[in-house]
Amino acid sequence: MLKIRSLDVAYGGLKALSDVSLDVEEGQLVAVVGPNGAGKTTLFKTISGVVTPVSGEIVYKGKNLLAVAPYERAKLGIAHVPEGRQVFASMTVMENLEMGAYARRDRQRRSDVLPSIIETFPILAERRHQLAGTLSGGEQQMLAIARGLASAPDLLMLDEPSMGLAPTIVDTVFDRIEYIRRTHGLTILLVEQRVAEALELCDRGYVLETGRTILSGSHDVLMSNTEVQRAYLGS
Amino acid sequence: MRRSGLGGQYLAIAAFAAVCLLVGWLVHNSYYQLIITLVLIWATAGVSWNMLSGYSGMISFGHAAFFGLGGYAMTIAFVQFDITPWIGIPLGVLVGMVAAIVIGLPTFRLRGHYFALSMLAYPLAMLYVFEWLGYQEVSLPMKREAPALYAQFSDPRAYIALALLLLVVCMIVSLHVERSRFGMSLTAIKQNEPAASAAGIDAWRWKMLALIVSAGMAAAAGGLYAIVLLVVTPQTMFGALVSAQALIIPMFGGIGVFWGPVIGAAILVPLAETLNAQLGNILPGIQGVVYGLAIIFITLLAPEGIYWSVRDRFGSRRAAGASKPSIARAAAIPAAAAAQQFKHPAAGGEALLSLNSVSRAFGGLRAVDDVTVAIKAGTIHGIIGPNGAGKTTLFNVINGFLRADTGSITFAGSELVGRKPHEICRHGIGRTFQVVRAFPRMTVLENVIVGAYVGTASNVEAERLAMSALERVGMANEQAHAIAGTLTTKQLRLMELARALAPRPRLLLLDETLAGLSHDALEDIVAIIRQVNRDGVTIVIIEHTMQAMMKLADHFSVLDHGKLIAGGPPASVVKDAVVIEAYLGRKWMQRAKDPVA
Amino acid sequence: MEALKWPIIDFLQALSTGLLVGGTYGLMCVGLGIIFGVMRVVNFAQGDFMMLGMYVAYYLVTGFGVLAFLGPYAGPVVGAILAGPIVFVFGWLLHRFLISRVTGARVVSADAEGHYMQLIMTLGVALVLSNGGLILFGSLPLSVQTPLSRESWEIGPVFLNQARTVAFVLAAAFAVGLYLFLTRSDLGKTMRAAADNPIAAAYMGINVDRLHRFAFGLGVGITAIAGGLIASSQSFQPYIGFDFVIVMYAGVVLGGMGSILGAFWGGLTIGLVQQMSTLILPYQLQNTAIFVVFLLIIFLRPQGMFGRVAERT
Repeated sequence: MLKIRSLDVAYGGLKALSDVSLDVEEGQLVAVVGPNGAGKTTLFKTISGVVTPVSGEIVYKGKNLLAVAPYERAKLGIAHVPEGRQVFASMTVMENLEMGAYARRDRQRRSDVLPSIIETFPILAERRHQLAGTLSGGEQQMLAIARGLASAPDLLMLDEPSMGLAPTIVDTVFDRIEYIRRTHGLTILLVEQRVAEALELCDRGYVLETGRTILSGSHDVLMSNTEVQRAYLGS
Repeated sequence: MRRSGLGGQYLAIAAFAAVCLLVGWLVHNSYYQLIITLVLIWATAGVSWNMLSGYSGMISFGHAAFFGLGGYAMTIAFVQFDITPWIGIPLGVLVGMVAAIVIGLPTFRLRGHYFALSMLAYPLAMLYVFEWLGYQEVSLPMKREAPALYAQFSDPRAYIALALLLLVVCMIVSLHVERSRFGMSLTAIKQNEPAASAAGIDAWRWKMLALIVSAGMAAAAGGLYAIVLLVVTPQTMFGALVSAQALIIPMFGGIGVFWGPVIGAAILVPLAETLNAQLGNILPGIQGVVYGLAIIFITLLAPEGIYWSVRDRFGSRRAAGASKPSIARAAAIPAAAAAQQFKHPAAGGEALLSLNSVSRAFGGLRAVDDVTVAIKAGTIHGIIGPNGAGKTTLFNVINGFLRADTGSITFAGSELVGRKPHEICRHGIGRTFQVVRAFPRMTVLENVIVGAYVGTASNVEAERLAMSALERVGMANEQAHAIAGTLTTKQLRLMELARALAPRPRLLLLDETLAGLSHDALEDIVAIIRQVNRDGVTIVIIEHTMQAMMKLADHFSVLDHGKLIAGGPPASVVKDAVVIEAYLGRKWMQRAKDPVA
Repeated sequence: MEALKWPIIDFLQALSTGLLVGGTYGLMCVGLGIIFGVMRVVNFAQGDFMMLGMYVAYYLVTGFGVLAFLGPYAGPVVGAILAGPIVFVFGWLLHRFLISRVTGARVVSADAEGHYMQLIMTLGVALVLSNGGLILFGSLPLSVQTPLSRESWEIGPVFLNQARTVAFVLAAAFAVGLYLFLTRSDLGKTMRAAADNPIAAAYMGINVDRLHRFAFGLGVGITAIAGGLIASSQSFQPYIGFDFVIVMYAGVVLGGMGSILGAFWGGLTIGLVQQMSTLILPYQLQNTAIFVVFLLIIFLRPQGMFGRVAERT
C-alpha cells in the first residue's frame, strides 16, 4: 500500500533522513523504532506533507503521494495520529471525532464509524461531551487514535503513542492498538520508542538511527536482535 | 565583506552633512527648504526608532509618545514660562527620557504583539489627555526683539542647519552604539534573547538603555518639529501618523543601521510632501497613502529595508570573487601554553555543581522530579534518557530560565536557585543551544565576542578572549573573519561552542551539540570537547547520539519521566536493567530475561 | 435619599447605555477575535474595515439611495447587514493578494519576527484604507440618518436611544447566529479546530490556508456590520478606524485572545467601561479609561477571561 524509496529529508540544515526505504503491505502493522533523533517523526511529517523531501519517492496505492497537496492526503485515506496527541483542547470529545471524520465528508456517512469507535474506546463514550483539554493524558491519547479512526482510513499512522504517558497507561494504549489491529483489519504504521511493545505487535519492523535504516525484518527476526539494543544504548 | 572602519563612517557622515548644507544653500524656494528641514527631522525620528526597535527587535508602534512629549515640553516651557527653546528642547529630552523609564518598566515585561499594542496605546492616551487639558492648538509666540535667542530665524536655512546638527549628533551616537558592546548586545538580544541571557548579557538593562536613548532622540526631534511648524496640536504630535512615520521611515530605508532612516526619509518625505502640495486638495490624505503603500511594498519585497537589499546584492557579488581578506595573523600561541592559561587548579574530583532534590512541575506534570546529582569538577558528565525525560528542562532550571520549585543548586559554593541567567553565566557557567542563531551578516569573531563581554569590561580584552576561544575550537585562522551566514553546520556548532567558552567558564552545559552531524564532523567536535575538558572545563552534556557519548563521557546520569533512575560509568549504566527498560520498555526486559515467550 | 437618587439614575443610565453600546462593540470584537483566533494575525486595519462598513451602509441607504425604497426604518438596518458581504469580498481579495504573503500556516507557529511582519503589513493597509477613504469619501462627518436616531424609549428613569437599541438587538442576534454557526455547522467547527490547533487541523485534511482566507473575510465582514449598525447612532469620518483599534483590541484581550466567543463578552465589557467611566471622568477621557483597562489587563491577566494560559505573551 505504501512504498517509500530512497527518501532524503533535510530539516533545519541537518540531514534528518538519508536514503530511507520502507514498505507497508495492506493489512500489516509495520513498526519503525529507533532512539530519539533518529528521524522517526520526520518520516511521518514527510508522509503527511508537513515536510518536503529533498529526493526520493513515496507511492501510496500506486499514486505518487508527493504530487498530492498535504491537505488532500487525508482524503486519500491516510490518518495521522500526531506525536503528543494534539487534540483540540477547547472542543468536546464528540467534536474532536467529527473533525477526524472531516476527510470522509465526501465519501461515506460519518455515523457508520461511531459505533465501532465507541466499542474500541468505551471510556470516550462516557466523556463524549467533555472538553478534550480536561481529559487525562491516556484518555487524550485514546481520543487522538479514535479521531484517526473516525475518518475510516486505509492507513493509520501512529506517532509515538506512548510518549509522556505513565507505564500502566502505555500498556492500556497498546492493548487498544492491538485490539484495533485484530478487529479492524487496518494497515498500521507505528513509530515508537518503546521497542518491545512496537516489535511485539508488528509484522515487519524497521530500526532507524540518525536518519538511516540500520535494520529491518520480520517480527521474529527483530524481536531479540541485540543490534536493536545497541542502536539505543550503544553497548 | 568587512564593515568599513570608524574613520570611513565619519567621512561618510561628513560628506552627507556637506551635501545637505550645499543643497540647502543652493535651494532658494522656501518651501523646498522646509522640505529639507522636514527630511532631516524625520530622519532623526527614524534614527531614534532604530535605536530601540531596529537594534533590539522590540518593535515600537508608539514612538509618538516621546516625540510628542518632547514637543509639548518645549512648547509649554516656551508659551507659559517664556523659556527659550534652546533650553526647552534639552528639557524635552529629559522629559522623554523619564517617560521612557516610566513606560519601559512595566512594558518590557511583555513580548511580541502585546508589547506592540501597548506601545500603541500610550501616545493615543496622551493625545486624548492633552486635548482634554485644553491644548487643542497652541501657537508659538513670535519674538521680534531677540529672535535668535528663541531659536527663531527669518532665514529657513538656519533651521536646516539646526536639524542637520541634531541628525548628525544622533547619527554619531548610533554609529558608536552599533560598534560598541551596547550595540552588539542589542543585536544578540534581537537574534535570540534567551541565548544572549545565557551568555551573560543583562537583557533588561540594555533594552532599557536603548529605550532611554531612543526616547531622548525622539523628544529632541519633536521639539525641533514644533519650532518649525510653529503650531502644535495633539494630532500632529501624538497622532498615529507620527508613530507610523517613525516606524516606516527606518523600515523602508534599512532597519538596524543608522543610514537606513536617512535613506528612508530622503525618499519618502519629499515624495509625500510634494504629492500633498500638488494633489492635496483633490487627494487629501495622499501622504498617508504614500506611507502605507511604502510599507506594504517593503514588507513584500525587501523586509529589511532598501539599504540591506542593495548591500546584499552588491556585497555578495564582491564576496564571491574576493580573495581571502588579509588579516594580521595573531602570533600563534603554542597549544601547550594556551592550555596552561585555562587550567583551573585541579579540584581533585570534588563536586563543582550540586543539585539537591531539585523539582520543577508544569501544572500537574513533574518535568524534573526530586533530582539529586553531583557533577564533579573536571569531568564530562552525560545526561541521557528517553524522549521527554526532562533533560532540557533540567538544563533550563540550572541555567536560570526556569525556577526550581524545590531543592537547591550550588555551584562552587554559591546558591543558584533564584538567580537570573546572565548572573549565572557571570558565575562561570556557560551554555550552548541546540538551534544556533548566529548574526548572519557578521563575522565569526563578532559573533563570538558577544559571549566575551561578561568576562571583561574592556572591549580590547573581549576581542582577545574571543580570539583565544576560537583557537580552542580550531577556528582562529581565516575562518574567524568569515561571514557567519556562510558556515556549515559543524562550523556553526564550533562557533557556538567558542561563544560559550569566551568568558572562560568553569562549567559548560552543552545541549545536543552533536545532533545530526556526519561521522567525521562528530569525531572532530568530540576531540575538541575532550581537549576543552582536559584544559580544565567541567562539561555537562545532553546527547542522544549514544555512540559518541560512550566515548566522551566519564559519567552518565539517566533521567526518565523527570526522575534520576541511574548513574555511573557509561559502560555499566547502559547494561543496567533499569536503564534498558526505560529506553526499550518493560516488555523488552522481560523478553530478554525469558526468551521463550 | 433624595441625594442618592440622581447618582443612582446616572449610574443606571450609564449602565444601560453601556450595555447598548457594548453589544455593538462586542460584535466588532468578535470579528477581530475570529481573525486572531484562527489566523493568529494582529490586524491593525480592523478599525478601517469597520469604517468601510459604515460608509458602505451610508452609501447604500443615503448616498446612492439604493435602499431608499425600503423606507427610513428598514433601510439602515438592511444597509448595515449588506455591508457585511460587501466588505467580506473585499477582505477576501485583500487576503488573497496581500495578507497571505506574510501570514499562513507557517506563521502561526513562528516566532516574534513573523508577527511583526503581519503587524507592519496591516499597519500599511490601515494607512492606505483610512487615507484612501479620506480621498474617496471626503472628511465631512456623516451618519446614517434614521428617525430612530433621535428617539428614545423610556424605561423607568432610564432613556434608551432607539437607534442604539435596535443596533444592540441586531448585534446580539448576529452574535447568537455566529455562536450557532461556530458550534453547530461544519465550517464553524473546522474554524474552531484551526484556531485551537492548526497543526492537528492540517492533519485532518483541513485546507488551513483557504480557511484563513475565509476567516479573514468573515472577521472583517462582521466588524463591518457592527460598523454599519453604529453608523445610525454616531457620526463618522474616514479616520474613525484608529479610534477603535485599541477599543477592539482591549475587548479581544479582555475576552481572551484565542477565544472567539470570549471576544463578544470582552467587547461588551469595554462598552460598559467606556460609558461608566463618564460617571467619574470627563467625557473626552472615556477612551483613555479604555486604554488604562487595556494596559491593566495586559499586565495583570494577559489571558483575559476565557483565553488559555498557554497563549504566548
